[in-house]
Amino acid sequence: MACFHFDIHENDRFIADDEGRYLDDEERVRALAVATGASIARDAFVEGSASRIVIDVRKDDAHFMRVVISLSLE
Amino acid sequence: MTALVQRLRATSGAGEDDLRALEALPYALRNYRENQTVLRDGDRPSECCLIVDGFCVRSKTIADGKRQILSIHIPGDLPDLQNLQLSTMDHDVVALSNCTLAFITHAAIRDLIRARPTVGDIFWRDTLVDAAVFREWIVNVGQRAAHNRLAHIIVELRERLQMIGRVTGNAFAMPLTQEQIGEAMGVTNVHTNRILRQLRLDGVLEFHRGVVKILNEHKLQELAQFDGRYLHSSPCS
Repeated sequence: MACFHFDIHENDRFIADDEGRYLDDEERVRALAVATGASIARDAFVEGSASRIVIDVRKDDAHFMRVVISLSLE
Repeated sequence: MTALVQRLRATSGAGEDDLRALEALPYALRNYRENQTVLRDGDRPSECCLIVDGFCVRSKTIADGKRQILSIHIPGDLPDLQNLQLSTMDHDVVALSNCTLAFITHAAIRDLIRARPTVGDIFWRDTLVDAAVFREWIVNVGQRAAHNRLAHIIVELRERLQMIGRVTGNAFAMPLTQEQIGEAMGVTNVHTNRILRQLRLDGVLEFHRGVVKILNEHKLQELAQFDGRYLHSSPCS
């Protein structure tokens, strides 16, 4: 089981995940990162507090994956 | 029985004779460990459980294993009172922390209600308040942004703990993990962690090892948008 950290960027605001969580299923990590990004984006986009949400996932302190969710109004 | 009687005395206007009759109900005490299931969806209980000490939740789990926490229950609550009328459980009751529960048989409660119909009125009122809290949770989960949602859950819990004298200064117990808080709000544990961090950075509150400490009441109220009328915490409300 590996320790995954989910660092969050909301535009330029950065919130590091110092604690992390132990997960044994990489598909679950992907689902958790996407669901977290989508749920933060839902509030931030509507409130106008951010237009780009990035979830950087670290696995045992090495880069694992990045989820980027952007708002585009045309 | 103390917390139940304390709450009913303050909120329902129950008469002292009825409260004494409630206190005299026979019960069996059982202890549950943290995360132990008290009742499962589909169970057909013949007793009601009263929380003497600790916290429980009502929850439902969907096919893919995701769980929604529907309500948080504290000492003095009867989270399965509905089974007096509805024989089959339609959700789970789970101990959040180590709990002591008092089990009272349905037969004993029915006998008391027949002997003292005003006790039936008290229980009816209690289940109506329960429904009012569910309505507020639907609004909370469906319409408020996640940080407002969490602030609302925290203020509601504090108001209810205050009714039974379980708030000390600006701190009180909320023995939920970040995962469980997320399950109550319908967000992931990572999002919950992010909200708690922001609330701490903004000087609103701290949450550490199952204890909430309010740092700025004004900011908390602003976030929670809390209107406690739905708790019906006095007999004329």
